[in-house]
Amino acid sequence: MSSAPNIERLYDDHSPALFAFLLNLLRNEADTQDVMQELFIKLARRPALLENVRDECGFLLRLSHNLAIDLMRRHGTREKNYNQLAQEPMALFANSPDPDEQTFRETLAAALGELSADQRAVVHLKLWEKLTFEAIAETLEIPPNTAASRYRYGIDKLRERLRPIYEEIK
Amino acid sequence: MNSEFENKVQSQPIREVPPHWRARIVAAAQPQPSRWREWFQPFPRAWGALGAAWVVIIALHFTTPHEPRFTGNSYAPQSFAILQEQTMMMAQLLGPTNADEKPSALPAEPKPRTERTRKELIG
Repeated sequence: MSSAPNIERLYDDHSPALFAFLLNLLRNEADTQDVMQELFIKLARRPALLENVRDECGFLLRLSHNLAIDLMRRHGTREKNYNQLAQEPMALFANSPDPDEQTFRETLAAALGELSADQRAVVHLKLWEKLTFEAIAETLEIPPNTAASRYRYGIDKLRERLRPIYEEIK
Repeated sequence: MNSEFENKVQSQPIREVPPHWRARIVAAAQPQPSRWREWFQPFPRAWGALGAAWVVIIALHFTTPHEPRFTGNSYAPQSFAILQEQTMMMAQLLGPTNADEKPSALPAEPKPRTERTRKELIG
């Protein structure tokens, strides 16, 4: 029988990564909190989930991704509602004292909202979690080539969208 | 290898987790007490007293001598035989029943129940 996982330790170790991923994916703070809570409740109730897990963070990102997809489906048509919600302005990044940098962050947050949820998930894991395409593929349960192509399309869209402001502050 | 643009995007720090989430999420993930505990935990003395009272009642029930009671099984076979015998005797004494007799063909004519009253009223 497996022992109960130390939820506090798991939270302290992984909540920053889970929060950033879920906030970027769901684009809604309340939904992010709901999914994080659901995830930790699941871990507390089913300690066996973490048995034989090599990469704890990757495993938790995968679980959180699955829960986020479930939440999107529960809320309605994923493409319709969540693409609309994603394009609403939201504070994804920390504030910067530099106005140019702040403008870049706000524009980047808006541009990320214009990507599809699938592309956003891959771009996030590649840039902010620094995962390889193989690791991303495992986390999102997609083929590595799909992960690579989603990233390429996503980053091209961001580059196109941010070109004017990026050229200005470069 | 990342391009300059990718490095620029990557360097943007995402917000930190709101600090008050920790207490809420960790508390929600703690194992919940069972329903039985929820029932019994608030008033342990009351439940203990109730349990003790039941123990006393049961003890008294078993220690007090009881008067013998009739039970269905104790008299059923004998009384059933006696009942059968009595029924047969009654049938012999009474002879054939009147069940086969035909009912009278014509029903009794209705009597003028209200005649007198009417006459009295008219007269």
